[in-house]
Amino acid sequence: MEKKEFGGKLIEVDEDGFIQDPDAWDENVARDLAKTEGVEEMTEDHWKVVNYLREYYLQYQMAPMIRKLCKTTGFKLKEIYDLFPSGPAKGACKVAGLPKPTGCV
Amino acid sequence: MTLKVRDISRRPGELLDPISPEELVPLPPPYDKPEDQPGWKPINPGSSERLVCNLDGVVATSLPQPKDPEEQRRYVDQFAAGLKKLLDKNNNWTFLQPLLLSLEYCVRCQTCNDACPVFTASGGKEIYRPTYRAEVLRALVGKYAKPGGKLLARLAGNDIELNWTAISRLYELCYRCTLCRRCAQTCPIGVDNGLVTRELRKLFSQELGWAPKELHEKGTVLQLRSGSSTGMNPLVVKDNVEFIDEDIGEETGLAVHTPWDKEGAEVLLIHNAGEILSWPENPGAFAIILNAAGIDWTLASDEVGYDGVNYGLFYDDVQLARIALRHVQVAKKLKVKKIVMGECGHQHKAMVTVSDRILTGQMNIPRESCLVLLERIVFSGKIKFDPSKNDFPVTLHDPCNIVRNLGIVEPQRRILRYLCPQFREMEPHGVNNYCCGGGSGFAVMSGNNFTDWRVSVASRLKFKQILDAFADQPGPEVKKYVCAPCSNCKGQLRDLFQYYGALEKSGITYGGLVELIVNAMVDVKEPFIKWEMH
Repeated sequence: MEKKEFGGKLIEVDEDGFIQDPDAWDENVARDLAKTEGVEEMTEDHWKVVNYLREYYLQYQMAPMIRKLCKTTGFKLKEIYDLFPSGPAKGACKVAGLPKPTGCV
Repeated sequence: MTLKVRDISRRPGELLDPISPEELVPLPPPYDKPEDQPGWKPINPGSSERLVCNLDGVVATSLPQPKDPEEQRRYVDQFAAGLKKLLDKNNNWTFLQPLLLSLEYCVRCQTCNDACPVFTASGGKEIYRPTYRAEVLRALVGKYAKPGGKLLARLAGNDIELNWTAISRLYELCYRCTLCRRCAQTCPIGVDNGLVTRELRKLFSQELGWAPKELHEKGTVLQLRSGSSTGMNPLVVKDNVEFIDEDIGEETGLAVHTPWDKEGAEVLLIHNAGEILSWPENPGAFAIILNAAGIDWTLASDEVGYDGVNYGLFYDDVQLARIALRHVQVAKKLKVKKIVMGECGHQHKAMVTVSDRILTGQMNIPRESCLVLLERIVFSGKIKFDPSKNDFPVTLHDPCNIVRNLGIVEPQRRILRYLCPQFREMEPHGVNNYCCGGGSGFAVMSGNNFTDWRVSVASRLKFKQILDAFADQPGPEVKKYVCAPCSNCKGQLRDLFQYYGALEKSGITYGGLVELIVNAMVDVKEPFIKWEMH
């Protein structure tokens, strides 16, 4: 698998740009991952989404329901798309260092 | 120059037949100008070096480049062995007969061509012709799987070569067909090119270990290991459904309660678990309807029992059987009277018909479509409806696996005619529908530039017929609903509408059938359908 530099570290990514080792993630990695998603600057709102995804993932080893994400952060889905143009699963989860969500989601 | 069947094995390293958005048949305004559309993402340079890309410039399967000629040869040998197994009744007891009939009886009349939404949308690209794959398979079988085949092939001028270039292109080409089987329906003698594609996918999976990771590693394998293709284990799924009960309860002012693991229940409802994660209003609406109608029902929390998906249907008989058996074991353990399949098309197909041959005797538990149960409930008089609450344009998308492939056509229509005053059909519809473009697992496959291909090519005729169905009120000021009772179709419509900005430009959104039923209930005071992105 290909390795790319994020936050000064070489990290394995799959062909969709998701990092393969969630433990390699830190805030600098997130800033660089965000750039691959067209997010030049991580604002407070971006962090709110990313931190919740991260927190949930560390507890349950998967991404939360989209509605839980919206309810906890107070953002509508449209607003999450405005923050992360590829959406919660393919965009926000990538920046939060989660694996790509699976199944019919 | 027209592409020939033998070309699939020639010019290694080159694209066999490149595709670009400019070649596609036009869409109606405001989507008619290719330059206004988002275009197609290029494959990133790192991936294009690592992955095989030799078909049309699109990469769905992410097949790694072979390390050396030795590895190439090994795969070619495995393919040749698999070809023989595919035609042998001891090795292919599931679909041998229809496969042989389809290989032997095609008279090359090409009637199926115009029935194929992918071929038509592409402007008639040769490699997408529904007979192209089958012709390649026929030529390979004739030359490599029959006694004296090589000599006969030489005499007949069949000079296809079984080599790495051919098998790697053929593998990728198996993922340019949504298995909608419109071609089989149109064929005057029932030749099934969809089945040919599916059997090729099976050969690649079972003999070479080649399958898209979304379907295999992160699909069936994950489902059998964790309980769900989404990765939800029993604790997580129960926690999520509890959240849905509370959340939908707050929204509707009703007490929403989902029963779990109720022994001896009349109905074991099995959702596609993607509904729980991405479209929670759907399982929430089911709970409201079933409770209001007094149905004795339950969900099951044993692994796999809460996720009706069975991606094995799309690519692998062994995985298909493992998951189907697991579904029935869960139902048997709970001693339920029947399984009801939620709004998921391929789950219907896998459970109702394809698993029939392994679900015999004690295993043959009754399986019913939710659409049939919902029709009985809606017309039972147990729930009060006010159809004027659904007074907006609604059209119906027919999931191929439920409608064309199983013949469940009218229950959902009778419900919509009753509950939706502005219901209108798209053309064509019912068993003649067009696939959403996400069939056969495409909706969950999004590597490289494949999402762009599936929304622009595979979904093109579907998008066109949706726009046509709403042509009387095309502007965004009128909110319109595409009812798609299938998770896979909904995932595809979500990506399609997002790609073109259909909600902003045309006011078009999508959702399931149960949401419309709940929206029309007199007891539900607030609108259940929200008209926002979901």
